[in-house]
Amino acid sequence: MDVFILLLEGIFVSFEPLNLGLLIFGCLIGLFVGAMPGLGSVNGVAILIPITFIIPPTAAIIFLAAVYYGAMYGGAISSVMLGIPGASTAVATVFDGRPLAVKGEAMTALTAAAVGSFVGGTVSVILFTLFAPPLAEVALRFNAPETFALMVMAFATFVGLGGDDVPKTIFSILIGLALSTIGLDLITGKPRLIFFNIPGFLHGINFLVLAIGIYGIGEMLWTLEETKGKVQMSKLSVNMKEVGRAFGALKKTIMAMNIGSFLGFFVGILPAAGATPASLMSYGITKQLSKNSKEFGSGVPAGVVAPECANNSASTGSMLPMLTLGIPGSPTTAILLGGMILWGLTPGPLLFTQEPEFVWGLIGSLYIANFFTLVLNIALIPAFLMVLRIPFAILAPVIFVLCVTGGYAPTQSLHDVWLMLLFGFAGYILRKLDYPVAPAVLSIVLGPLAEKALRQSLILSDGSMGIFFDMAEKPIAAIIMYIAIVLLIMPAFGPLYRKFFKKAQTT
Amino acid sequence: MSVTNKITVKRAEIAVAVILALCSIALMIKSAENRITWNAEENMGAGFLPFYLSLGMLICTVLTIIKFVLKRSPQSKDDSPFIEAEAFKYIAVTIISLVILVLAIGYLGIYFSLIFFLAFYLRYFSSKSILFISVFSLITPVLTFLFFEWLLKIPLPQGISEPLFYPVYDFMYS
Repeated sequence: MDVFILLLEGIFVSFEPLNLGLLIFGCLIGLFVGAMPGLGSVNGVAILIPITFIIPPTAAIIFLAAVYYGAMYGGAISSVMLGIPGASTAVATVFDGRPLAVKGEAMTALTAAAVGSFVGGTVSVILFTLFAPPLAEVALRFNAPETFALMVMAFATFVGLGGDDVPKTIFSILIGLALSTIGLDLITGKPRLIFFNIPGFLHGINFLVLAIGIYGIGEMLWTLEETKGKVQMSKLSVNMKEVGRAFGALKKTIMAMNIGSFLGFFVGILPAAGATPASLMSYGITKQLSKNSKEFGSGVPAGVVAPECANNSASTGSMLPMLTLGIPGSPTTAILLGGMILWGLTPGPLLFTQEPEFVWGLIGSLYIANFFTLVLNIALIPAFLMVLRIPFAILAPVIFVLCVTGGYAPTQSLHDVWLMLLFGFAGYILRKLDYPVAPAVLSIVLGPLAEKALRQSLILSDGSMGIFFDMAEKPIAAIIMYIAIVLLIMPAFGPLYRKFFKKAQTT
Repeated sequence: MSVTNKITVKRAEIAVAVILALCSIALMIKSAENRITWNAEENMGAGFLPFYLSLGMLICTVLTIIKFVLKRSPQSKDDSPFIEAEAFKYIAVTIISLVILVLAIGYLGIYFSLIFFLAFYLRYFSSKSILFISVFSLITPVLTFLFFEWLLKIPLPQGISEPLFYPVYDFMYS
């Protein structure tokens, strides 16, 4: 009952004029950002964070969450119409969305994507409302050792479940952490890693510099290489008959909606996962369980609904650990978490007691954003198609302008703009060689918090690392640490498992 | 054989791994300027964490190099060009123009630098008319000015062009 009242209060908060205006504006920007190839929620949120400095934190989080949410809807538009995913989260939408468009049923694909996103979003936000308060209550009992163990687990999840090259993943985590140590040591106050005595390094490296560099500059370079500045779009006829036919086709997608919504939510909670693997997994499982699995890939609405349900559901799911534990569930929530620190908040369970308006305003806004995004998405399809015709060669310099100004604004230092360019170029090269970049962004956000938790824990234990493994004194920290160790060593068993499985199959 | 064909994925992989290994060593040396030891009495030295994180980075790059030598990574067997010639043109021009943009910001100020950057970029890569490019290149910095200086009250760097903005500030704040 308490939850229901808090939720109602949160919904009222999101209906305040400033919040509602920013919510609708955020949904629109998110749809646009999601629809443009090369831009996704993470790019949008990273580039837009600097403009939230003048508004209250609640309005800022509502705006950015709406951008995140809208981008999940928008990604499907370019997947269907261009055959290029608007963002990595919409990769699986291409598999059946594009064939539907090629067959002349683009409207069916776009409607399936919008309705799927709405269902996934609604289910996940209900799950979020139910799970968040009890999880936050448990997390309130966490001290420094538990917090540090949780962060180690977040890093370990990338190694165990990320699916990327293990040394490259660990390198990415470590470089993010190393970058976060630049500046003044928080205990001794001594300057660390001040290269060439450049004073700009004394204030450390703002996570936004790395995030905008990688997801703004680096991603634009990547997309310029992929598209060479051009776009190719399918034809679309929009009329009521088409829309009605599209809704009729959704009757056969109930199973896909269930799989996408629930699987997406729980995959979204995992720190390394986020919306991209959630949508791919949902597509795969729906295909396997479907009676018409052979038709998947040739243009079936269920093949669009499953990943779209999942990516929306996962985006909400990834906010659960961000709010309750202070651990982001996706690269976008890592940036949101960094934003909270910039706005002067302390991410974690205390938010539920100290900043209820912020927390419940965000949760309430997710319900409202879900509705508005569905309406805007379907109503504005013709407008988004016009936007998609903009050649990338025109869009790219505008994004670069936003990156340069966004990189400068937080600290008002050209030093940070140079660093942002450097990270952008480096991120582009590293991504081409399959170095995952998301762990570096997560690490630079969590680095200072992890270091603080580690050093506080070691002061508590008189310098003994045993505090993290002591089942009698700190059982939660120990259990989390052991899970982290299992996740870290899991990739080593992959080849053994495959070898055993192959042998069993041949015998 | 063009330069872009000579730089294969395979060569890029090993070159980048070696560069990252050298960067890791440089970070270790830099970290060692502070105390890198840790014990119960003295607690953790300021250089301890960066030193061991850099050591971890070095180990990871060495593992990547070993995988490359043993041909265990997909990149170690990939002889395709790291970047296609046409795409290289886009990337190289973009990177160079961005570097010049940031250099120019320090001297000319952001607004005039943006005008030149946008005009050059659109002229080079798009087939739009001179009129479109001129209007677009002028409007974007104006909107940037209004957004940052008027709405957010965040001054952006103006370099030698700063005196030109005094009348605008007088108008804005009078």
